[in-house]
Amino acid sequence: MVVGRDEDVAQLRRGVLEYCVLALLREQERYGFELARALAEVDGLVTSEGTLYPLLARLRRDGLLETRWRESPSGPPRRYYRLTAEGRAALERFRAEWTRFRDAVDHVLGTGRPR
Amino acid sequence: MTTAASDPAVRRYLDELRRATQHLPHHRRDELIEEIEAHIREALATHAREADVREVLERLGDPHAIADEESRRLGIDRPRAGAHEWAAVVLLLVGGLLPILPVVGWFVGFVLLWASRVWSTRDKLIGTFVLPGGLVPAVSLLLFPPPIPVAQTCRSVTRMREDGPTIVLTLCEQSPMAGILATAALIVLVLLPVLTAAYLVRRALAASR
Repeated sequence: MVVGRDEDVAQLRRGVLEYCVLALLREQERYGFELARALAEVDGLVTSEGTLYPLLARLRRDGLLETRWRESPSGPPRRYYRLTAEGRAALERFRAEWTRFRDAVDHVLGTGRPR
Repeated sequence: MTTAASDPAVRRYLDELRRATQHLPHHRRDELIEEIEAHIREALATHAREADVREVLERLGDPHAIADEESRRLGIDRPRAGAHEWAAVVLLLVGGLLPILPVVGWFVGFVLLWASRVWSTRDKLIGTFVLPGGLVPAVSLLLFPPPIPVAQTCRSVTRMREDGPTIVLTLCEQSPMAGILATAALIVLVLLPVLTAAYLVRRALAASR
């Protein structure tokens, strides 16, 4: 890996995005478009909303998400996504890991926030 | 207010998406296209002015980027144009003209065309049927021009002999019409394969962006 390329940040983002999606479904189930807009609100998280759907399909295949169809007030039924038990467990594991990881990297990079 | 399905920009976008995803497994490909369609529908549900449509499609992102992401998440490679594709185009165009085993050259190009994962079925049909043989028909016409009955003018000449049978000769010559027809045919027979080859090249480059 050559240090300093744009690709590195993109890979980092891609690896973390899955858990951000899981986190957004922690409290409630959401449908695709809703998720896309929620992610877009957080700056720097998604570049292209369309790439969300391959990710959602992957999470379903891995058993971290399940879906169901619900009627929508404004048109055809919507597919709603929600966490499975495995998804919830994976999310909690990552949250613990992430805090440690983030603190460690911040410490070394000197980017940590003052306590 | 235009509905999502009827907007030309949306249709172009979805067409591009269909082309970009044609190497994916059928089931997942259909699903992905439906998901993107539903997304666009939701986004435009409240209002659908020109600028809104453009913004929605821009936020959605490049169809090829979405197809790439799907390939990555499925763990498969997106096929890119390579030596096989370029060989196919060259052989389809001039493979039939090889001095040794002429028809085989075009046939090898035909096999490479259909074996490729880069071109869609529609592309392959165009490559096969627009003018099979590539430039062979044009070259054949140049080397062995057929007489064209319609373009001949014929006259009869009667020879009478005192001591023998009457001979009737029919003399035909090619009218200027023949020259025009032949030239027009030649132009068509050269243009069609060349344009087909250019089309295949363009489609291969687009798929490999």
